[in-house]
Amino acid sequence: MDENNVILLKDVTRSFGEKQVLKGVSLEINKGEIFGLLGPSGAGKTTIINILTGQLSCGGKAEIFGVNCGKIGREVYRRTGAVLDNCGLYERLSCADNLRLYASIHRVSSSGISEALALVGLDGCEHKKVKALSKGMKQRLCIARAILHRPELLFLDEPTSGLDPATASVIHALMSDLRRNGTTIFLTTHNMDEAYRMCDRIALLSDGTIVECGEPGELCRRHCSTSELSIVTTEEERITLTNMPENADEVAGLIRGGRLKSIHSSEPDLGTVFLRLTGKELDK
Amino acid sequence: MRTFTALFIKQCKDSMRNLPSMMILLIYPAVACIMVTAMGSEEGMSRFFVTMFGAMHCTFAPISIAANILSEEKEKGTLRSLRMAGVSMVNYLLSLSLFVILAAMLTGSLFLVMDSFDTKYAIQFCVTMLCGDVLSTLVGLCIGICSKNVAAANGMAVPVGLVLALLPMLARFNDGIAKAAEYTYSGQISMLLEGGDVTGKTIGVCALYFAGLWVALMILFRRSRTESIQ
Repeated sequence: MDENNVILLKDVTRSFGEKQVLKGVSLEINKGEIFGLLGPSGAGKTTIINILTGQLSCGGKAEIFGVNCGKIGREVYRRTGAVLDNCGLYERLSCADNLRLYASIHRVSSSGISEALALVGLDGCEHKKVKALSKGMKQRLCIARAILHRPELLFLDEPTSGLDPATASVIHALMSDLRRNGTTIFLTTHNMDEAYRMCDRIALLSDGTIVECGEPGELCRRHCSTSELSIVTTEEERITLTNMPENADEVAGLIRGGRLKSIHSSEPDLGTVFLRLTGKELDK
Repeated sequence: MRTFTALFIKQCKDSMRNLPSMMILLIYPAVACIMVTAMGSEEGMSRFFVTMFGAMHCTFAPISIAANILSEEKEKGTLRSLRMAGVSMVNYLLSLSLFVILAAMLTGSLFLVMDSFDTKYAIQFCVTMLCGDVLSTLVGLCIGICSKNVAAANGMAVPVGLVLALLPMLARFNDGIAKAAEYTYSGQISMLLEGGDVTGKTIGVCALYFAGLWVALMILFRRSRTESIQ
């Protein structure tokens, strides 16, 4: 394992009964990056998180901080934090009580609780019962719990799923802050826009295999080299042309004839890339 | 130890706000109190109600509460979060067991104030209740660990708890049931609460149940470790 690697997966397989969910997944995630795992529901994203956090056994090689995921001990758990699809908060307890439990587990002082709550914008909510919080506030509380002990690696399992854009942007800002502080983030999502904007690198997961991995922009360029030109003429006619030399004369003709109202290249997005590679659409 | 204490404190706070759990813990002492107040003036009736409801309490309450808490933690994903924070399943189960046993003992001690006990009998009563609480907690943990959610856990815990809790009372009315009840731990607990002597059969039955439940818990525990806790 490279010293810079935080996570290493090599030919990881996992089955549930007859169904093989992961069919030889290989990944390397570097220190300090936001790595996004994109795939539709049921692709195996959460299974990978469960394997990496030692909750599930697997075939192949899975390591986190150089430790076999099947033998993770307290030392590794102290260096990681997780925000799961299911929040896992004690609804009858207050925000502070929820964090107090984890503060004791991770040996964090009580001042750390207030700091974590302030960091996610929940200062003043210490005594509020969790069941009285909105979904977005619960998600932020989950993040506060996950970063309470300042982990080096943070697992975020669809952290903005079902949230309004304002709350989602608060969470994105938090992720950016964490990355600036050197935290490695493993993000699973099926929101391609979120992945494109937030991630340094992404992997596309489909049917238990990684179909592509790399920087989001680079992936788009690699798989959609024939970007398109969307043209609107002065007669409000909409023309779509591939951005190829053979179409240059047609564009020049529109310009010369004074018929060009607007022109822009439409860059392919990750959803298009995913569709081209797998023939499937990512969930909206 | 720090984690164990934190889990125990969390359990106390959470359960105190959990009305159904509190009701299960208090229902038998409350019913016994009503019966003793209403009919306790008759010769031996207060002892009759205290021992009968005492046996029911130390059988039913720990089964129901342990199964309920464990299955709720699984259903809500809180157990998964704890495990991802490095909390071992052993640590968790120990803290949960301690809470259930202490809560059942604390509420069970209410029976002591409902009748006049001499010191020796009071000690026997408490030790017997403790044995019942420990065995019933093991039953509850087994049910909780193999249930995916609270509904499934209650679906198993309530009938199992009721059969074990009511068997000693039903044994008073039927010889066949009395014979069967002798081979249940709740039957032996009930007999001891009524002031019976500890016999080889009592120790044998309770030890057999303890061993059987411990083995069952270990098997279920291992299975839960190899599969996702969710």
